[in-house]
Amino acid sequence: MSNATVVVVTSGKGGVGKTTTTAAIASALAKEGYQVCAVDFDVGLRNLDLIMGAERRVVFDLVNVVRGEASIKQALVRDKRLDNLFLLPASQTRDKDALTEEGVASVINELRMYFDWVICDSPAGIERGATLAMRYADEAIIVSNPEVSSVRDCDRIIGLLDAKTKTAEDGGRMPKHLMITRYDTERAKTGDMLATDDVVDILSVPLIGVVPESKDVLKASNVGLPVTLSDENSPASKAYTEAVRRLLGENIPVTIPEEKKSLFGKFFKGRAA
Amino acid sequence: MKFKGKSFIAIVLTPEPPFSDWFQEIDRIITRSPGFFIDRPIILDVRGSKIPIDDLEHVLKELKARSVRVMGIDGVAGTRLKEDMPPSFSGGRLTADVDVPEPAGATEGAHGKTAANSKGSQKAPKVSGKPTGDATDNDMFAAKASSGKANGKAQKSATDALLTPSLIEDGNSIVITEPVRSGQSILHPDGDVTVIGSVSSGAEIIAGGSIHVYGALRGRALAGVAGKDNARIFCSKLDAELVSINGLYKVADDFDGTLRNVPAQIRFENETLVFEELN
Repeated sequence: MSNATVVVVTSGKGGVGKTTTTAAIASALAKEGYQVCAVDFDVGLRNLDLIMGAERRVVFDLVNVVRGEASIKQALVRDKRLDNLFLLPASQTRDKDALTEEGVASVINELRMYFDWVICDSPAGIERGATLAMRYADEAIIVSNPEVSSVRDCDRIIGLLDAKTKTAEDGGRMPKHLMITRYDTERAKTGDMLATDDVVDILSVPLIGVVPESKDVLKASNVGLPVTLSDENSPASKAYTEAVRRLLGENIPVTIPEEKKSLFGKFFKGRAA
Repeated sequence: MKFKGKSFIAIVLTPEPPFSDWFQEIDRIITRSPGFFIDRPIILDVRGSKIPIDDLEHVLKELKARSVRVMGIDGVAGTRLKEDMPPSFSGGRLTADVDVPEPAGATEGAHGKTAANSKGSQKAPKVSGKPTGDATDNDMFAAKASSGKANGKAQKSATDALLTPSLIEDGNSIVITEPVRSGQSILHPDGDVTVIGSVSSGAEIIAGGSIHVYGALRGRALAGVAGKDNARIFCSKLDAELVSINGLYKVADDFDGTLRNVPAQIRFENETLVFEELN
């Protein structure tokens, strides 16, 4: 049995950036040289294959493996660019009821033998798909946008992580990391967005990274490249890469994205009332 | 394994000597409404009466002859009971009187007082539901799942996740040592609840006694649900959605704005809720 770490990327609310985060974290970890597998749990609404640019090579999927119709090795799709990065895609034609707890347990256990990191992309919601995705995880990355609805849903998910996971039932505490995505520097400046401090305060989970809202992320998604591979110098990519270093145990301060100021702006900084 | 606490209403009968008169009264109820005792959980309350065990045996026999099924005896030590007697039982709490149905229009008659009990497996009428709306019971953690006391307002709920290390029980109060998350519900109708950490928006604390929150109170806090006017709510940062003491509630919109985000206590005085800053 290998000592793989199973990480669930979850949020409760939809559209906050779980799938983007999964792809970015998985590829950043792979770039560090680890054997990484990204697992899409969003059965019926799969997207991770698109974001990772693997949609044209999917043969078998998670449901096939859970039901014993295919082996894990048949279902895994290797990334085009990094040969230590794999994807276990979800089924698009089935729904979440096709997953069983035992099936998911055996899949995760087998993946633990082959990989160093298993990153599970949780579907939105708190129903079966989401609870199964978090069930066997060792750690969790909570993805939140700096807005109240997203924060409250994350809070709910954290409660479930502390109640319904295997780790929690065995009396342990699952380590959790907070990833704030779609951070809008423009709105942060005008104050019509929750401050990162407030989000951290409400959720009381340590911050692992703040990813700015950026066109690079959208562009990367459209060409099927995780943002950490497509443009390594974009602020979003840097934020994810830093987050991965924190996930690996490095102690580096979190940088809050700021609007790039022109010289003129810098000159006037501090004089505003 | 799951432990569940469930509340039922039981009818409590108090035998009064002379027993022949008492049984006449029972018979009168049965004649008037033959189904009154059928399929109801009945508890025999002999507290304070120092009834000799032989008399108790006689009472039980007479009740059995009338098809009154006694499922527990309150007020007598279990060791004194004979083998074939119903088990000893304690810990009930009064609710409102149950009216004996009076088809004949007679005025007199409420005979049973009701009490809640949690051990009954019979299909007894359930204590009225949860005090507040939207809490789902699948991830609630209730304070205790054992001996049930309940009254009309509060009901213990079962738990999928008894967070054992974080629930420290001390007499009638419980201490929760981690944040209470949105969607979670702490129900403890028997006493005080202390939370070390914040209570999130969308979470709720329901306590029979006072509520102490060492952190921000952003959810709902319902204190004194067991009918205690002197229950209070304390928090290090008041940002609650709703606070209530003994059923009297106030929503965030009606709070005094100056007390937002400061340490505060809330108490019940002259049928109003008094908010005070804690210094």
